[in-house]
Amino acid sequence: MIQLIDLGKRFGNLIAVDSINLKVNPGEVFGFLGPNGAGKTTTIKMMAGLIKPSSGRVIIDGWDLAENPSQAKKVIGFIPDRPFLYEKLTALEFLRFIAGLYNLSSNGVEGKIDYLFGLFGLADWQDELIESFSHGMKQRLVMASAFLHQPKLIIVDEPMVGLDPKGAKLVKEIFRGFCDKGGTIFMSTHTLEIAEEVCDRIAIIQEGKIITVGNMKELRERVGSDEEKLESVFFKLTGGEEVRRVVEALRF
Amino acid sequence: MREIILLLKTKILSYKNSSRQEEKKRLLRVIIFFSIGLLFWFGSFLVFFRVLRYFSSIEVIGALLASKLLSMVFLTFFSLLIFSNVITALSTYFLSDDLQLLNSLPMNPSSLYAGRFIENVVNSSWTVLFFSFPVFLAYGLVYNASLFYYLNLLGVIVPFLMLSAALGIILILLLVYIFPARRLKDIILLASIFLVVGVFLFIRFLQPERLVDPESFYLVMDYISNLKTPTSPLIPSQWAANAITPFLFGNSEDWEFFLLLLWSTGLAFVVIGEWVFKRIYYDAWSKAQEAKSARLSRSRVVNCILETVLKPFPVQTRVIVLKDLKTFLRDTNQWPQLFLICALVIIYIYNFSVLPLEKSPMPTFYLENLLSFVNLGLAAFVISAIAVRFTFPSISLEGRSFWIVKSSPLELRKLVWSKFWVNFFFLLIPAEFLIITTDILMNATNFMIWLSAITIGGMTFGITSLGIGFGAWFPRFKAENVSQIATGFGGMMYMITAVSFVGLVVILEARPVYLFFMSKLRGLPLTGGELTEIVVLLFMALILNILAFILPMKLGLKKLASLEI
Repeated sequence: MIQLIDLGKRFGNLIAVDSINLKVNPGEVFGFLGPNGAGKTTTIKMMAGLIKPSSGRVIIDGWDLAENPSQAKKVIGFIPDRPFLYEKLTALEFLRFIAGLYNLSSNGVEGKIDYLFGLFGLADWQDELIESFSHGMKQRLVMASAFLHQPKLIIVDEPMVGLDPKGAKLVKEIFRGFCDKGGTIFMSTHTLEIAEEVCDRIAIIQEGKIITVGNMKELRERVGSDEEKLESVFFKLTGGEEVRRVVEALRF
Repeated sequence: MREIILLLKTKILSYKNSSRQEEKKRLLRVIIFFSIGLLFWFGSFLVFFRVLRYFSSIEVIGALLASKLLSMVFLTFFSLLIFSNVITALSTYFLSDDLQLLNSLPMNPSSLYAGRFIENVVNSSWTVLFFSFPVFLAYGLVYNASLFYYLNLLGVIVPFLMLSAALGIILILLLVYIFPARRLKDIILLASIFLVVGVFLFIRFLQPERLVDPESFYLVMDYISNLKTPTSPLIPSQWAANAITPFLFGNSEDWEFFLLLLWSTGLAFVVIGEWVFKRIYYDAWSKAQEAKSARLSRSRVVNCILETVLKPFPVQTRVIVLKDLKTFLRDTNQWPQLFLICALVIIYIYNFSVLPLEKSPMPTFYLENLLSFVNLGLAAFVISAIAVRFTFPSISLEGRSFWIVKSSPLELRKLVWSKFWVNFFFLLIPAEFLIITTDILMNATNFMIWLSAITIGGMTFGITSLGIGFGAWFPRFKAENVSQIATGFGGMMYMITAVSFVGLVVILEARPVYLFFMSKLRGLPLTGGELTEIVVLLFMALILNILAFILPMKLGLKKLASLEI
C-alpha cells in the first residue's frame, strides 16, 4: 500500500528525513514512533503531498505521488495533528465541501455523512459553526472527513491528541475495524500504549533515520528481552539513559 | 519595574529574532516600505507647506485658517489615536496568546498594565507620529518658528500620546467587562467603519466646491466668525493646539497653562487606567475566555439561492465557490471593507454628477470626452483598490486550512481559477456600473462610453489576474484577519503593479482617442499615418491586457504548487 524509497527532506542545512525506505502492507496498522524532532511529521507531510521531498519517492497504492498526485491522493484520508478547519462553515457544510473536493456523486453522500456524524458522536453538532467546536470535536470532525470518500489508506499524525478517553477508545476501535476490512493505517504517535495495543508493526525514527522496523516480538528480540513493554524498548533504542537522567533531575 | 522591563524585552527579542530569520527577504521589503513611506512623508510635507504658505500670504484670515487647520489636525490625530489604541488594547490586553502564560504567573498587575501600556503606545502611535512630523515641520518652516516651538512640540506630543492610550485602554477595559471580547471586536470594527463612512459622506455632501462659487460667497464671511471661536475648549486636542500656537503666530495664548493641563490630565488618566485595570481586568479577561464568537444568521434562503445559481458548475468548482461565499458572508471582518468600498463608489459617482463642466472655458464636447477618459483611469484605480481588499487576499484566506485542499485530489489549477472567476464577476459589475454611470452623467459620446466599457472590461481581466497571481505569490496563511493581508508587502506590490498596468493601458489608448476626437472636432477624416498609429497603439494595449491576464495566474499557480505547508 505504501512504499517510501530513499525518501529525504532537507530544510537548508538541516536534514529532517535522511533517505528512508519503508514498505507498509494493505490491512496493516502501522505505527511510526520517534522522539520530538525526529522527522515523523515531515515524513507524514511528504506522504500527504503537503511538502515536496528533496529526494526519493512516495508510492501510494501503486501511484507515484510526484507523478500522479491526484490519483494517489484519492486513495488517502489524511488526519493532521492540528485540526485547522474552515471555521465559518458548519460541520455539515464542511463534510459536503469535502465530498465535493473528492468529486463524490451526490447519491448516497448524505447517508454517508449521517453515518459518520453518528459514528463520531457529532450528530447533534452538525449545524453548528466549526469555530464553536472544542479541539477534540474538531479532531473527530477531521477524522469523519478523512473516512468520507472511503479511502484505502488513512495517514494520521498523533490521532489521540485532544480526544477524551471515550473518543480515544472509539478511534482505536474504528482503526482496528477499518484494517480488518482491508484498509491500511499509517499513524505517528507518542502514546506508546496505543501503539503497542493497536499496531501490527512499528517503525522507530530518530534524527531522520529509521532505526528499526518490526512487530512487537521482533522489537523485543532486537533489544534482547522477551518481557519488555514497548516503552522500555523505545527508550533503549532512542537513548533511554538520557530520559532516566531527566527523571532523576526532576526529583531534586 | 524589573517585570515591566522583562515584558518589553521579550517583545523586542521576539521582533529581533523574527527579523533575523527572514533577513534576506526583508531587505527588499524594508527598502520598498521605506521608499514609499518617505514618498508619502514628502508628499504630505509638500501639501501642507504649500497650503500654509498660501495661508500665510492672506491678510487677516490667513493665521486664523492656519490655526483652525492645526486644531483640526490635532483633533484628527486624537480620534485616530484613540481608535487605534482601542483596537490595539483589545489584542494586547485580551486576545494576545501570551496572556495565558502571563496571567498564570505571580506577576504584579501594575507591571502587566504598565508593560502592555507602553507596548500599546508604541504599536498604535508610531504611524500617526510618523505622518505628523511633516505637518509640524511645515508649520515650523512656514511661520519661521524658533527652537522652542520644536521643544514645546515634544512636550505636547508625549502627554498627548499618553492620554490617548489611557483613554483607549480604559474604554476597552470597560467594554470587555460589559461585553464578551470576541464579539466586541466585531462590534468595534463595524461601529468604527460606520463612523468613518458617515463622516466621509457628511464632508462630501457639504459640497465644499460651492465655496468657490461667487454666488455663495457670503458663506465665507460666516465662516470667518466661526474661525475665531475654538473647536471646543474641553477637548485635549484643542489644548495641544493652544499650547503650540503662540510659538507659530505670536499670539498671547497661555501656553504654559495648556501644557500643564495636558501633562496633568495625561498622567491622571494613566493612574485612573491602572486603578480601573486592577479592579476589573481579571473579571474582564476571564469573561473574554468564556465568550463564544457571535453566531451569525445562516439563512436557508441564501443557501438555497447560492446552490441553485451554482448548480451548472462542476462539483469541485461549486463547493469552492460556495465555501468562499459562505465564509465571506459570515466573516464580519470583511463587512467594514465592503461598507468602505460602497462609500467610495457613492462619492465617486456623486463627484462626477456635480462637476460644473458648463462653466469651463474649454469646449464642453472636448472636456466631457477628456474627462471620461480620465474617468477610465480613475475607475480602474478604484477597481484595483477593491481588488486589493477582496481579490488579493482570496488565496491567503484559505488560511491554515490550506492543508485540506492541498492533501485532496483537487488540482490547484481548479482552485485558483474558481477564485479567479468569482472575483472577476465581482469586480466587473462595479467596474462597468461605475464607468457607464459616470460617462452618462458627463454626457460623454457613445463612442467614448463604448470604448470605456470595453477597456475597463479588458482591464478587469488583468486586475483580477494580478490580484489572484500576487495573492498566490505572497500568501499569508497565518494572518489574523483580512485587512492584515491586504496591507502587507504583497498587497503593496500588487497595488504598484496594478496601477502601473492601468496607467500603461490608459497611456497607450490616450493618443488614438486624441487623434479620433481631433479629427471629429476639425471635421477632417483620419490620415493613413494616423490610422496606422491608432491600430499599433491599440494592438499594444491589447497585448498588455493579454499578458496581464495570463502571466500572473501562471506564475502564481507555479508558486502555490511549490509551497510547503
